[in-house]
Amino acid sequence: QTHFLFLSLQAKMSRPVQAQRLEGVDKNIWVEFVKLAATYSKVNLGQGFPDFPPPDFLKEAFVRALREENHMLHQYTRGFGHPPLVKILAQYFGKLLGRHLDPMTNVMVTVGAYQALSCCFQAFVEEGNEVIIIEPFFDCYEPMVKMAGGTPVFVPLRPKAPKDGKLMSSADWQLDLAELASKFSKRTKAIVLNSPNNPLGKVFSRGELELIADLCVKHDVLCISDEVYEWLVYDGKEHIRIASLEGMWDRTVIIGSAGKTFSATGWKVGWTVGPNQLLQHLRTVHQNSVYHCATVAQEAVAQGFQRELELYGKPDSYFVQLPKMLQQKRDWLVQSLDAVGMKPIVPEGTYFLVADISEFKSDVPDVPNSDEPYDSRFAKWMVKNKGLAAIPLSAFYCESHKNNYSHFIRFCFAKEEATLKAANDILQKWKREKNSP
Amino acid sequence: SQTMTFRHKNTRRIEGLDSNVWVEFTKVAADPSIVNLGQGLPDISPPSYVKEELAKAAAVDRLNQYTRGFGHPSLVKALSQVYERVCGRKIDPLTDILVTVGAYGSLFSTVQALIEEGDEVIIIEPFYDCYEPMVKMAGAKPVFIPLRYKNDGSSVSSADWVLDPAELANKFNSKTKAIILNTPHNPMGKVFTREELQVIADLCIKHDTLCISDEVYEWMVYKGRKHIKIATLPGMWERTITIGSAGKTYSVTGWKLGWSIGPQNLIKHLQVVHQNTLYTCPTPLQEALAQAFWIDYKRMDDPECYFYSLSRELESKRDRMAQLLQEAGLKPVIPDGGYFMIVDVSTLNVDLSDIDEKQPYDYKFVKWMITSKKLSAIPLSAFCGPETKRQFEKYIRFCFIKKDSTLDAAEVILKNWNKQTA
Repeated sequence: QTHFLFLSLQAKMSRPVQAQRLEGVDKNIWVEFVKLAATYSKVNLGQGFPDFPPPDFLKEAFVRALREENHMLHQYTRGFGHPPLVKILAQYFGKLLGRHLDPMTNVMVTVGAYQALSCCFQAFVEEGNEVIIIEPFFDCYEPMVKMAGGTPVFVPLRPKAPKDGKLMSSADWQLDLAELASKFSKRTKAIVLNSPNNPLGKVFSRGELELIADLCVKHDVLCISDEVYEWLVYDGKEHIRIASLEGMWDRTVIIGSAGKTFSATGWKVGWTVGPNQLLQHLRTVHQNSVYHCATVAQEAVAQGFQRELELYGKPDSYFVQLPKMLQQKRDWLVQSLDAVGMKPIVPEGTYFLVADISEFKSDVPDVPNSDEPYDSRFAKWMVKNKGLAAIPLSAFYCESHKNNYSHFIRFCFAKEEATLKAANDILQKWKREKNSP
Repeated sequence: SQTMTFRHKNTRRIEGLDSNVWVEFTKVAADPSIVNLGQGLPDISPPSYVKEELAKAAAVDRLNQYTRGFGHPSLVKALSQVYERVCGRKIDPLTDILVTVGAYGSLFSTVQALIEEGDEVIIIEPFYDCYEPMVKMAGAKPVFIPLRYKNDGSSVSSADWVLDPAELANKFNSKTKAIILNTPHNPMGKVFTREELQVIADLCIKHDTLCISDEVYEWMVYKGRKHIKIATLPGMWERTITIGSAGKTYSVTGWKLGWSIGPQNLIKHLQVVHQNTLYTCPTPLQEALAQAFWIDYKRMDDPECYFYSLSRELESKRDRMAQLLQEAGLKPVIPDGGYFMIVDVSTLNVDLSDIDEKQPYDYKFVKWMITSKKLSAIPLSAFCGPETKRQFEKYIRFCFIKKDSTLDAAEVILKNWNKQTA
């Protein structure tokens, strides 16, 4: 956008009509890639949502809520969260954190975890503030920080070579402690932590979280902890909540998502958990932006959590079954990719998997001086020519780092067996075509 | 290591915006023994086909996952058809419409997209209370102008409350980025006439100002009045964002779906805000709403269309509410539209001087009325800027989109009130 420096005698509309806070945050990779997938893909492993339904008990809860004699579930509920939902969330997360939570002050419901993130930045980040973002990152963090007037400061996870003969794991991508420490300054307002991490699937270990926590405490920094994939953890790994570490409860906002927890991304129910001194400011943003979230979905999610509380840790719990089911799918996709020469980074968590497509580079020649990162051109070519949709890893890096890792793409494996088999068929056929003279 | 309390403050943008009339009054009125005519939510049932469509939508697996961010395709298509008919102009579902979390979300997206520090935004008093904090949160300055009572006749209608054109013209200057218009008006119930809208439109065009038109009550217009969209006046489409609400249209406030309609070059900025704040709205609700719209779109020539039948139902409730208040010795302002009615309660001469709180009279009155009469309403000074609060502090607002039994209960209270004070 060009800015005209005319004097005030000029018509007002000669300057941009939009507010400056929108500068540099208008681009969005999903708009383009979702459209491409819709147009070309036969197998869509791109955008992160399950192609299997939410569990029956949840769908039944929704329908029950609709059949209620009390049609007031079609009207406004409490703005900061439907009472049955905040009560059960307080109970459930209180149990997980080993702490008494007040449903009215320590929990707030949002329109998806996405809106929770937005509230955090609007409440705590302004011009002059820096926010540390670990790369690769869920792409919305950067524009949200910028729209709040803040400055994102990036620190990368760096891959270490896996042990001989083994596939790389998301655990092999690590922060360099000295590098991380150097990013903290007196301008640092917050760090965004996403564990399990989208797109890599990394599940931060206790040791790693303690290092981050120490820096937060030392520099008196807020931690925005995006834990939407908290249940999607494999190989017996443990998801550790940074808020449970020493010195962290008072400075952490935990973000969760019913969409990921219950495989119902279209319901857009999320939440924040934290101390009242932080949540009070999220409430202020919320009451001045959307105010209420839809009632019926909150009622159904509350019932879902009630069931899960009763089945806590038992084999029938959805939070036990879902990761089991997804681990199997992860392993299928790992196998499919490995078999054709795409090198998967085995994720410890989430339903995403990043793979190195170097061996397929010959299909998509390099274009020198191209503005577009290689992996993005590769992913576009792949969906158009092979019908397989995935997301380029560069989507999860800031502008200046988009070419750092140019040959990785992200697959979503929260898909029916038939979908993953179809993906396998595409990959196998592709490999055969490459090998034939 | 010692636990350090987080010493960082909240951002400046939310400083002073933490209090909210609803947080205060919905809590107080939540007691089920209280006849709640306060917050604007229906206790009548939404039409059955609307509820059925939601049940149908939730049964479709893929409708439980993400849909298009700027609005579910079938919904934006339905909205474009309905509003093309109403506005008499082509509306592109993909570029001219944004679906948001309630009209509230549309107001937020519009203000965040188009308003910033250095801007002034004209707000007509009384106003739906969120306009002021939203403008402030965007860093801009609200400039207030009150509706003024012009008639000296005996009957009071919302039509008797008007803007002074000279006073309005004076509020516009080179910093004026937008004016927020609300018609039909909450809390007054005023339905702006074509002439009144033309005065506003002329000023918008002269000063190259945007118009944010909150028309959530667009279908609730009573006999003798017509809802006119300011965006349809010459020169206004290109500078107007028109906001609508499923909650008000279909009596489903808890669905929290709204929309902004306008020219692509403005809507695209709202879409940018949306993609950086919540990205997408719930899918099954959008699908159900789309189906409901198709049902009513097909019968827009039929008086049984819900847009018109709801209005007729509300008109008789309006008349009943007015009668109840009149019989209690009050003079309500009869609304031409919307589902609220305001009334001057000073004639009841309730002495609240012993209540120490530094709140305006109407706040104290409503709190007193809730505890001693078990009837709730909303104080009108909540809808005023600082200069005008005194002018309106004798007024309270009643919501009448209530089932008969609720109005019956209100009748009992109002009849007894009269007896006690006689």
